[in-house]
Order: sequence, then structure tokens, then C-alpha cells
Amino acid sequence: MSQPSLTLPTPGQQAGRNRRLLEILGAAAIAATFIFLVLTQPADIAGGLGSVSALVALGGFLLGAVLLIVGVLPTLPTATVVLMPVALVLNIVLGQLMGSTGLPFYLDAIGTVLIAVLAGPAAGAATGALSSIVWSFINPTVLPFAAGAALIGFLAGTAARYGLFRRFYLAPVAGFVTGIVAGVVSAPIAAFVFGGTAGAGTGAIVSAFRAMGDTLLAAITKQALISDPMDKAIVFTIAALLVYALPRRTTFQFPFVRRYNVLAGKEPAKRNA
Amino acid sequence: MAPRLNPLTTLTAAAAVLVITTAASSWAVSLTVAAGAALLAAVTGAARRVLLGAGVILAPFWLSLLVMHGLFFPEGRTVLASWGPARITAEGLGFAVDMGLRTSAFVLVLLLFSFSVRVPELVAALAAFRLPPQFGYVLASTLMLAPIIAARLEKVRQAQESRGLVVGKGFGNRLAAVRLQMVPLVLGLVHDAGVRAQALDARGFRRTGPRTTYTQVRDSEAQRGFRILAALLAAAAVAVRVAASLSGGGQA
Amino acid sequence: MNGHEPPAVTLRAAIESFAFHGDSRPALQGVDIVAAPGSLTAVLGGSGSGKSTFGRLLGGWLAGGRDGTLKGRLQLESGGQQEPWRPLVYSGADNDPQIDPAAWAEQVGYVPQDPAAMLSAVRATVEEELAFGLENRGTERAEMVRIVAEAARRTGLASLLQRDPATLSGGELRRLAVGCAIVADPAVLILDEPLASLDSDGTRTVTELVTAELARGTAVVVLSQSADPLTRSAEHWLVLEDGAETAAGRPDRLLAGEELASSGVVVSEPSGQHPAQAPYPAQAQSRACPAPGAAPALELDGVSFGFDTKNSGRPLLLENVDLDVWPGEIVAVTGPNGAGKSTLLRLFNGLLRPLHGEVRIGGEAIAGVPTGIVAQRLGLLFQHPHDQLFERTVLREVLFGLDRMFGDEAPVRAGDALAAVGLGAAGSVHPHELSGSGQRMLALATVLAREPEVLALDEPTVALDAHGLRRLSAAMTAAAGRGAAVVLVTHDLAFARAHAHRLVELRNGVLAGR
Repeated sequence: MSQPSLTLPTPGQQAGRNRRLLEILGAAAIAATFIFLVLTQPADIAGGLGSVSALVALGGFLLGAVLLIVGVLPTLPTATVVLMPVALVLNIVLGQLMGSTGLPFYLDAIGTVLIAVLAGPAAGAATGALSSIVWSFINPTVLPFAAGAALIGFLAGTAARYGLFRRFYLAPVAGFVTGIVAGVVSAPIAAFVFGGTAGAGTGAIVSAFRAMGDTLLAAITKQALISDPMDKAIVFTIAALLVYALPRRTTFQFPFVRRYNVLAGKEPAKRNA
Repeated sequence: MAPRLNPLTTLTAAAAVLVITTAASSWAVSLTVAAGAALLAAVTGAARRVLLGAGVILAPFWLSLLVMHGLFFPEGRTVLASWGPARITAEGLGFAVDMGLRTSAFVLVLLLFSFSVRVPELVAALAAFRLPPQFGYVLASTLMLAPIIAARLEKVRQAQESRGLVVGKGFGNRLAAVRLQMVPLVLGLVHDAGVRAQALDARGFRRTGPRTTYTQVRDSEAQRGFRILAALLAAAAVAVRVAASLSGGGQA
Repeated sequence: MNGHEPPAVTLRAAIESFAFHGDSRPALQGVDIVAAPGSLTAVLGGSGSGKSTFGRLLGGWLAGGRDGTLKGRLQLESGGQQEPWRPLVYSGADNDPQIDPAAWAEQVGYVPQDPAAMLSAVRATVEEELAFGLENRGTERAEMVRIVAEAARRTGLASLLQRDPATLSGGELRRLAVGCAIVADPAVLILDEPLASLDSDGTRTVTELVTAELARGTAVVVLSQSADPLTRSAEHWLVLEDGAETAAGRPDRLLAGEELASSGVVVSEPSGQHPAQAPYPAQAQSRACPAPGAAPALELDGVSFGFDTKNSGRPLLLENVDLDVWPGEIVAVTGPNGAGKSTLLRLFNGLLRPLHGEVRIGGEAIAGVPTGIVAQRLGLLFQHPHDQLFERTVLREVLFGLDRMFGDEAPVRAGDALAAVGLGAAGSVHPHELSGSGQRMLALATVLAREPEVLALDEPTVALDAHGLRRLSAAMTAAAGRGAAVVLVTHDLAFARAHAHRLVELRNGVLAGR
């Protein structure tokens, strides 16, 4: 009887390629859905919204989010997976609280950004998508925004990868830019699936643009361009503050932090093999 | 529900109903579905929780819709009343009711599902579905973590007040207090997560081979058949809608 | 696991050095161990000595490369006719072997100090939690049921299989954690502080469990900071200090020698109790005499309290409690678990408010005064220091809010308080990177620096090593010496007897002197 090996096998090429394919398909589904929605947006919504748009928005974005999750999750180290529920609870609790205040902000991505900074863009994207899916158990209206949430996680991780979290003042800038992209991508969901936004504050802003004669999609997109960049700048700043407060031994658990020197602003850069 | 249904059955049913409702895109269908979900909630004894949850979500949403479209709907032609830039139009109100009912159906059906499902059973059923085990873990852990985190936040607050932290009245003071409480909370949770990860690894969480489940989930031929039927019906509804929209010149 | 004895396996480890990523100093240096079948080995050391790091390395919870830089070797030797495992040799380079934690755990099971950390926390019952590791291995369900029943029998959990793990007591939780490790039937078992914060019942059941495992031929390694009856029964001791091995050999030889003295290991009498007086300064006799006419520092006057009072069927937790503590007096509150000792402390500073009766500090009632204000006169130290610390460095932690009370004097007071608890040199360290004992000492320093009139301590001795106990006792004496009243809640009767002027017992909602 031969003994089982005590060491990990080197990961197979084929499995890695399959995962990669799922990630690409997921991203493609999200991109294609967005393009379709913008190109075919109904010119006149008076006769009711095109329910095809709603179906495509729901189906395409959700499919993309699920493909991303299935592709990314098995590649993540357990330390990241175990941190995800914590991030999700932060997202959900803060998001739910913020939604009830009437302010035109969301604050529902702090956990996502936290993971993205510690574990990278792929982990961030999976966290964002999972966050929407799990949150929908208590608030189903967030489910269709899974793709937008994934994008925020991806962009936050990319910002961390290129050192935007090394300096405290760069984090809100990265957040602002992320907010612009995320807002534009999420607007069609709000418009076609829900015909508006859920919050009182955001609703008021949309009404103002509608009063000036904008189409619904245009009005919601403009509202998103007002709310989202500010919101994400705040979220990135809070996440940066939280990460800076973590002890070094904790942040250095994450290979992404070590490899890309993500938090050099906090401590003198130190070479690490 | 006396004989417990497989969570996949209820999940499929909920998803199919939602797809059909969206495809139908009619206020009557939405209203019927919403009322049906509320009725089912009453039968299963979850009415209080479902209606309360739905109310919290839907009340601001309806308000926002009615203000947004009731008062400002540039596409509206039948003007009922107007004050300056604000005009109440029949089309705007109709649109708001349409969208509001559709979302109400959406929220009620999904809440009915999530309040009636037992999470461990759902996780076990999903594991059999070849989803990554990490997915089930994150789902179950998040839903079980919320009360633990709430208890922990309370402990942090008590400990800090005992150290002389006085939460002042102003907004700035509140914000400073939130920062002081968030830091130990997040630090503690991140630390715990690091240790738990090592435990899970040792217990084989990252094994790649096949897995089994200890929890037995009830299932039957009838339920399997029902799931296939529901999926087919949903697909048919989408097909009909797409065909109608194509023949109608891309506009439904 | 198949009911018979596990194959005999010997664990040999030689750790030249191990340093966490980002740390400049190695956490371990030059530690060797051999754990042979059926033998009990104890690794002893004070808080921060590196015991847990060592245990985690042995159990495959920390991996060289992934968690830090490891130099040394880990080896399993099987006694049977199986072909041997190749030793894992680490040189701190990129091409070091990558340990498979799951495969390793089938041979070497590690149970952490905090048993809750062992649990997946996503399973609703004890039996599902036990099965978690088996599910991941793809064990057939029938086999799984058999193994779970067998593991439950070995750990004495058979009657608790349907319980929610979150509702278990400390001893039950510890046995569940052991159960989670032994479903894989490891030949080597590593237990980190298996008796920490257990009452006498819990201690007995866990000790029996260890004895039974030894009888089956399992090699057991216990990591501990006290020379208690369990570690005294070991064949071999290993003493760690500052991450390095300072002594090794038979327990009786080491107990007779001097090596243990500086290590911070708590040496108790074989009975398991602290010696009545020896390690602590005798002070119980020098009782403070209240000045006539003065008010007690802390006064409870007919206080009643209960949770969930709407439910009238529930009895009150505290009923008509009276307590006077005078300046300079040390009072210990003892009592069984769940008697409401911690609740009593929370009434002192208004975290909880009495249903009837009044709490007075220095003669003034605290009703209506926010806890944060009461805290200027009454310092309360909680059981879990983690929750109390929120700054980025040890010094900032103690300085927090101090300048408002003492102005320019604040830094001096902070320095003094840190020096008093032995953290004078640790000012720039992150509080969460201190050892368990160190974190408690820091939390104590934050309270001491404010020089409160009343000091209330919740189970202050738990998790403290010998150094920590000595400093705690000095700090209490000093506080009483400058005229503060000290109230401590503890299950450690010997410590209470050695330090308090007066013991009171809380039982069935009533306080009684003893």
C-alpha cells in the first residue's frame, strides 16, 4: 500500500484554462448585455417598457455574474474565501442602513473593496457578485446589480495592483473613477428592470432630470454619475483606512499584498521574496 | 409546509414565476403573482416576516416611483393636473403602477423563497449541483454571521464605553465613534477569518475530488418533473415574448 | 477511522527557524521534537513564547512559504510495513515543498487554543460539523454516519449530536474540536492549551479523552503555559522562551531545576490549585480600615436585575444585592458559571441599569450618568481585551483620551502605566500583534493610566502566564495602596484567596460573604 502524498500537486493546466474561459465568458456576457441594452433602448417608454430589455438585463448580467463566481471561487486561497462572508455582511448591513437614510449614497461596497485590496481584482469581482446574490435573500431588488458590483470589485483590485492604495490621497481618486464606470453600467438595470431607483434621495435627482425632459435611461445615468463617483470615493477611503489599521502580519498573509506591494504607503517598502 | 420540498424545487418555481411575470409585462399578471405570493406566505405561516420585509423594501420604492413618474413624465400626453414643471399624467401613473407591481411581485416571490428555505438544505442541494463548495460556504456563512457580528459590535461598544468613550451628539462625534468601533470589529473578524481558513484547509476544504453531503435533502420523481416543467414554461414565455417583439418591430 | 488502533506513526520535527512574512525577527528558532506513538509530550512556555506557532507548524496549519519563511524539516515515520514518507525539507527558498494541509491533517491533527476556531461555523448541528471533513473527502454517507458515531463516542459527544454548536459549553466545544480532528483518525494529536478556561468538569472530561487517546497508541503533544496535572503526566517536556528552546527533558528533572523560573510557565501544586500564597505577595491580612464617616468607594444598595423582565416567569438574576467596597480594599466575587458575575460588573458602570436599587460611586448615584462618564471614576476591564483595543500602536492606545484628563502630563502617565504592566519597551507595536497575555496587560494599562477610584476586573487571570500574573498582582496592590477600591470577578479561588481582603460568593442571585 503506497502512502498518500503529503504535498500539494502542481495545478493542472487544463483546469486553469477552463476557469479562465469561464471568467472570460462571464465578462463577455456582461459586456454584451450592456451594449445590447444601450443600442436597443426604447425611444418611447410611454407604452410600457420593453420587457425584452428587462429579460435581457436580468438574464445577461446574472449569467455573467454567476460565470465569474464559478470561475474565480475555486482559484482563491481559503483565507480569502473565509473573509468573504465578513465583507458581505459589511456590505449588506451598511447598504441596508444607508438605503434607509434617504441620502443619495449606497456605501454597499466597503467589504468588496476591502477584499479587492487584500486579494486582488478577481477576488474583488467574485465578492461583488456574491454580495448581490446573497443580499438578495433579504432584499431581492439588488439581485440584478450583481454585474455592476463585480465590476467595482474588479476595478478596486486593479487600482490596488497598480499602487493606488499606497498613498492615502490616491484611494478616493481611484474610487471616483470606478464610480463613473460602475454608474454607467448599473443605470440600464435601474431603468429597464425597475423603472427607477429605490432610494428617496436618488429618486429626487432622477425626477429633476426627468423634469428637464431627459429620457428615463439618460436621467438615471446622470443621477448615477452624480451619486456613484462620490459614493465610491467615500467607500475607497473608508476601505483604505480599515486596511491601514490592520497589523502588518495580517495584511502580509495575503500573497497579493506582498507581491504587488499594495500598501507601501503605510510602511517603508520592503523586499520580500 | 408539511412535507418539505427540495430547496431546488422552490428555487426553480420562484425563478420560473419571475421570468414569466417579467415576460408577460402586464400589471394584471404582476398583481396576481404578488397576491399569490402573499397568500402562499399566509398559508405557510411566514406572512408576517415576508410582508414586513417586503414593506420595508417596497414602501420607499413605491414612493420614489410615484413621485418620479407621477409628477415628471415628459412622454405623458394625458395631463390630469400640473404645477409649473410638475405634471400628473395618466401615462406616468400607469407606468409607475406597472413597474411598482412588477417589482412587488419580484420582491414578494423571492422573499417567500428565502424565508421558507432552510439554508443548510439549500447548501447541500447546491453542492450536489456541482457548484464550487466555496459558494455554499460563503452563502451559509454570511447568513449565519450576521447575528454573531451584531453581538460582537455590542461587546466592542460596551468595552469602549467602559474605557471612557463618550459618544457625543454631533454628526462628527458619531462618525468618530463609528471609526473607533469599526476598527476592532474588522480587525477581530479578519483575524478570526485567518485562523478559520487554516482550520478549513486542514479539514479538506480545498480538496478537489468528489464530495458527499451528510445532510439528506428530500427529493422525488414528481419534484424533478416539476422542475423541468417549470423551466420549460419559463423558456416558452421568453420565446413568445421575443417572437412578439421581433414581429412587432423590435418594440414590445 | 475503523475502530481499531491507528497505525503507529512518529512525528519528528526540527525547526531551524520560522519567521512570518513581514516580520524581521523569527518567531521560532531551534526547536526540535519527537512525538512517538502512545507518548505524551508537553511543550511549555509563557505567553508569546511561540508555542502556538510551533503547534500550528507541526499540525500543518502554518505552511512554510505560504505563511512565512521556514527552515528545517518535518518528517513522519510509519512503524508498519508501508513505504516511508519522504521528509519535507525546507530551506526558505521558492522551491520548498508545499505541504497539503488536508493530507497532513490525516496523520497529524491540531486542535487550536480557541476551539471555536476549529469549526466551519456553517453547520447547524454537532453531527454535521463532525462530518464536514468527511464530506470534503467524499466519504460515502453510510461510512460517514458510522465514523461520526464513533468519533462522538470517543469524545463523549453522543448525546449532543443534534445540538447547535453555538450553544455548547466550553468543555463540550473543546471536545467537539477534538472530534473534528479525530474523524480523520490521525496518529498524532496536537492540543493547544486544551484545559484553558475550563471549569473542573470540563478539565476532567478533556483529561480522560487524552488518556484514552494515549491508550489507543496516539502520539499526543500538549502545548500549555502551566505545569498542571495533565502536563505533569507527560514523559517529556520542552520549554520555550522567546521562540527558542531553553530546556528539555523529564518533568521531574525540570521541575527541580531553575529553567522554568524565567520562562513564565505557571507552576501549580500537583492538586491543580494555585499554592495558597507562595508566588504572590502576602497581603490579605493588611486590610484597609475605612475612615469613619467616609463613603464607600463603591456601593450597591438593594440592587435587583434580570434580563427579559417582561417574561414574568423568569427569575431575577440578581436579587436585592448589597455590596460596599471601601477605598484601599480588594474584594473578590466568586461563584459558579452563569451565576451573573459578569452581569454584576456591568451594573457598576451603568452598561446595565438595575431594575430596583441604586449604584453609588464615592457616595454619588450613577443613575442617568452615561457609562463613558462613569468610566472616569470606575475602570472596568473586560474578559476579551481584543474588543477594547482600537489604536494603531500600544502607546497611542494608552494615550487615547488621556490628554483631556491630564493635559501635558498624559505622556508621562501613559509611560508609567505601560512600564507597570511590563510593556515599557513595546510602545510602537500594533496592539493586536502582542501575545494574549500582552493584550490583557495593555488593556489593564489603559485603565490604570486613568487612576480610577474603583477598579473592576472581569476574570483577570485567564490566559495570563506567570509574568502576567505577577504584574497583575503588583498592579492590584499598587492601586489599592493609593486608595482605589478593587473588585475582581474570578473562578480562580486560589488567586482570590491570596489577594483579596474579602471574598463574596454570588449564588442563586444572592451575594454572601464567605
